[in-house]
Amino acid sequence: MSKIGVFICHCGENIGAKVDCTRLASTLGDHPGVASSIEYKYFCSDPGQESVKKAIRDNNLTGVVVAACSPRMHEATFRKACAEAGLNPYMCEIANIREQCSWVHNDNDKATDKAIDIVRSMVEKVKRNNNLQPIEVPVTRRALVIGGGIAGIQAALDIANAGQEVVLVEREPSLGGHMAQLSETFPTLDCSQCIMTPRMVEAAQHPKIRLLTYAEIESVDGYIGNFQVKVRLKARYVNKSTCTGCGECITKCPSKKISSEFDCGIGKRTAIYTPFAQAVPNIPVIDKNSCTYFKNGKCKICVKTCPLDCIDFEMQDEFEDLEIGAIVVATGFQVQNNAMYGEYGFGKYQDVITGLQFERLASASGPTGGKVQRPSDGKEPETVVFIQCAGSRDPSKGVKYCSKICCMYTAKHAMLYAHKVHGGKSKIFYMDIRAAGKGYDEFTRRAIEEDEAGYLRGRVSKVWLENGKLMVRGVDTLLGKPVEIAADMVVLATAMVAQPDAKEFAKTIGIGYDEYGFFNEAHLKLRPVESSTAGIFLAGACQSPKDIPDSVAQASASASKVLALFSKEKLEREPVIAVNNESTCAGCWGCVLACPYGAIEKKDIMDRSGKLIKRVASVNPGLCQGCGTCVTFCRSNSIDLAGFTEKQIFAEVMGL
Amino acid sequence: MSIEQLYRTRAKELLSSGEVKMVIGYGAGSNKERRRPLFITSAEECDKLVLDSACISNLSGYLLTEGLLSDEKRVAVFLRPEGVRALNVLAAEAQLDTAQIVIIGFDSPKGELKALEGSSVEEFTALITALKEITPETAGEEQLAKIEKMSPEERFLFWQEEFSKCIKCYACRQACPMCYCRRCIVDSNQPQWVNTSSHTLGNFEWNIVRAFHLSGRCVECGNCDRACPVNIPLRLINRKMAEEVLNSFNHFAGTSKTQEPVLASFKKDDSETFIL
Ligand SMILES: Cc1cc2nc3c(=O)[nH]c(=O)nc-3n(C[C@H](O)[C@H](O)[C@H](O)COP(=O)(O)OP(=O)(O)OC[C@H]3O[C@@H](n4cnc5c(N)ncnc54)[C@H](O)[C@@H]3O)c2cc1C
Ligand code: SF4
Ligand code: SF4
Ligand code: SF4
Ligand code: SF4
Repeated sequence: MSKIGVFICHCGENIGAKVDCTRLASTLGDHPGVASSIEYKYFCSDPGQESVKKAIRDNNLTGVVVAACSPRMHEATFRKACAEAGLNPYMCEIANIREQCSWVHNDNDKATDKAIDIVRSMVEKVKRNNNLQPIEVPVTRRALVIGGGIAGIQAALDIANAGQEVVLVEREPSLGGHMAQLSETFPTLDCSQCIMTPRMVEAAQHPKIRLLTYAEIESVDGYIGNFQVKVRLKARYVNKSTCTGCGECITKCPSKKISSEFDCGIGKRTAIYTPFAQAVPNIPVIDKNSCTYFKNGKCKICVKTCPLDCIDFEMQDEFEDLEIGAIVVATGFQVQNNAMYGEYGFGKYQDVITGLQFERLASASGPTGGKVQRPSDGKEPETVVFIQCAGSRDPSKGVKYCSKICCMYTAKHAMLYAHKVHGGKSKIFYMDIRAAGKGYDEFTRRAIEEDEAGYLRGRVSKVWLENGKLMVRGVDTLLGKPVEIAADMVVLATAMVAQPDAKEFAKTIGIGYDEYGFFNEAHLKLRPVESSTAGIFLAGACQSPKDIPDSVAQASASASKVLALFSKEKLEREPVIAVNNESTCAGCWGCVLACPYGAIEKKDIMDRSGKLIKRVASVNPGLCQGCGTCVTFCRSNSIDLAGFTEKQIFAEVMGL
Repeated sequence: MSIEQLYRTRAKELLSSGEVKMVIGYGAGSNKERRRPLFITSAEECDKLVLDSACISNLSGYLLTEGLLSDEKRVAVFLRPEGVRALNVLAAEAQLDTAQIVIIGFDSPKGELKALEGSSVEEFTALITALKEITPETAGEEQLAKIEKMSPEERFLFWQEEFSKCIKCYACRQACPMCYCRRCIVDSNQPQWVNTSSHTLGNFEWNIVRAFHLSGRCVECGNCDRACPVNIPLRLINRKMAEEVLNSFNHFAGTSKTQEPVLASFKKDDSETFIL
């Protein structure tokens, strides 16, 4: 016989003001199988929880229904209280009479009637609940960090410094990401490489970090605590273990005219190269597509030059299988290719460049050694026009969102320009100046007041070349007048966008992404560093546009999530998983295909002599996430979800 | 030689050479319009085989008889194109291995009997692909057009009227090769999702469940429609569902033995018009 306890919470006025809790309690008190039905102002309070526990003990309750707020809020609280009173926590259910009732209705009588229905329905479910035990899964204490930008490096260092193993995978030949490309950084104007390279070196030399550069993720299988990851180590054609990074090969390589990715096309590199001088590891790679030997079968100058015989043209991609417990995704962003703004002349005029190209011009390690020179003729520009929101906040052509960092880096660019070119004039077209952040507004003020950045509020409609000048036509909306400026260089603050392969990548590792390709967090406010897949965390600009401080903060946050996971030997998981009835399963494999987590396997049923009788579906409890997709698919209703069995759901529906 | 003669000889050869252990075909029925399934295991019996345009039922379902195929021996079966499609569906759902099946194919467009080349499902691929293109036109049922024109209320009343006749004999289920479940959902009583009593609600539930379970799988062989003792026009439901699945997902049931079930798989370009 069921003895259900019903606990009706007023939630102060939240529920109490709309639902007649006394009527609710007395109606439910008369419902068959209900042994105790009481109301209270705040059941989540300590005395509230105590009264639940007392009722369980006094009445030997077999199940509990707490009629209160959404289970998202206090399900865990009340399940714990039940466990403390000796009841299996899964015998406790929440009937949501706040979000789904009192908050959304005006008529008190009808709201009370509805609350009665909701609670009755839940009582009927609880009558059919079963004791469930959490599932224990072992944890492999080794983290994988994907992406070696500042976010990935920070996450790797934090995890490693706490004593746990990390594998850091970067697809480029060197660590560093975008931060290594920047000149000086807002809001302090410290040199980016000076603060970045020590981190890179620390990560590379850390005894707990295994660094795999020029490597990509092939596949991710498994589940939280137990991922199996296959990594492709791309052929460098240079032997990593013997190369000392002397760079002889680079100096001698005859194909020198290759556009450098690191310098955003305004510098050149050789076919055998390291992306930049402080690359970590300082081991070159051969770019197969531009190497003379790979193209024509002749050259091999590098082979002759290398004093240690490190060059090997026969090298092949290699694969490595890793056992991983948790994953931090820190794959960063890209800047938008602004060729779509034909009217700004990007791609047509050499002196219309992106903000990232400007970083390379202003960087001491850049192709001009830090001198601001026009790409077309190397002249120092006397007037530079900066166009903000070139792509951002433009639903028709660009992206809807604000890229968050462009206001700041444009102010920085204007300052750097003022510092480097004395007497240079900067004009900045902007929509708003968004400078929220520690020291940020002060920074933009400084650009305006000390470095004479000329801010013009308005959009630019056209850029064209006339008598050697880039003519910029726009509007100054504060004056309400059109303006035309003759500039020597135009810098577009291009939008921060997701990596071009972000969606494919997300599918490979099994996480969600938004319409732009930024990876989805489990909850924007309350779980911003978790992905929707257990055991996979997010850090840096791969989740949304971010500056360095935010990227680093999120990286440390995800490291702490990983460490929390690694603090236990075994993981406890909710036992809400699918269970198959092998005697009725027809072995049609529809569920196998339908399961988004690949959690269903085929299982052979043998007789005693080992002869195959039939094959049925079998759910791997470690992989199943309890989504219920298979349950809805299975025609013969063979699969059921523990905690949400068809019997329970049916009773719930009939209880309404 | 008539096709009937030809196929009797073929069946004899198959059996006497030991290539198949059984031939499933048609025999004489209680009257001229009716044919009965025959299960023949010796060459001598082959003369009992009948083949004419009255041989309409889809025999593929008999292949799933418990234990029939578990010895890995082969079985020959008389099939129309729908029957071959049914084989593909059953193979795609792992219910049988087509390598064990020898097809004796025939068709009777406009009442005229015709032999079909080929003995394995693969040899029928071109034919089935062609069927996919023409089915919508050839199935121009007058009644269906009428129903399409009705308002949702009228349509509901129409089906209410039809379903009220259902006596829950499950003959439709018994006749359908795709209803191979070890335990049908209507036989599950914990919980009893589908009401078993034959009142209108229960009848509605059953017929809607059946329609959904067969959508994307039904090959429109007509077995269920002919089996129904109270003449509920099940073919109309089957046709409508097949059309929906074809239009929404470009899915034509039984085109290959590796075809993914339409309701358990997705393609990136599936239309999502039904997601509100
Ligand atoms: C023009 C410009 C100026 C800026 N100036 C400033 C500034 O002054 N101050 C400031 O705070 N911020 C600035 N920023 C922002 C700053 O660059 C970012 O906040 C920061 O780089 C984000 O770091 P991240 O590690 O998330 O991403 P990234 O730096 O993009 O690093 C991601 C790394 O992951 C690697 N990767 C990507 N995909 C894969 C894969 N599938 N497998 C393996 N590896 C992969 C990439 O190769 C890269 O190394 C600026 C940005 C721009 C565009
Ligand atoms: S869908 Fe149902 S019948 Fe088919 S294999 Fe899965 S559990 Fe078995
Ligand atoms: S509940 Fe979801 S995750 Fe679990 S086996 Fe079914 S489909 Fe897969
Ligand atoms: S539902 Fe009817 S027409 Fe369709 S395959 Fe089954 S028996 Fe044939
Ligand atoms: S109606 Fe559905 S559950 Fe029943 S036998 Fe047919 S396919 Fe299986």
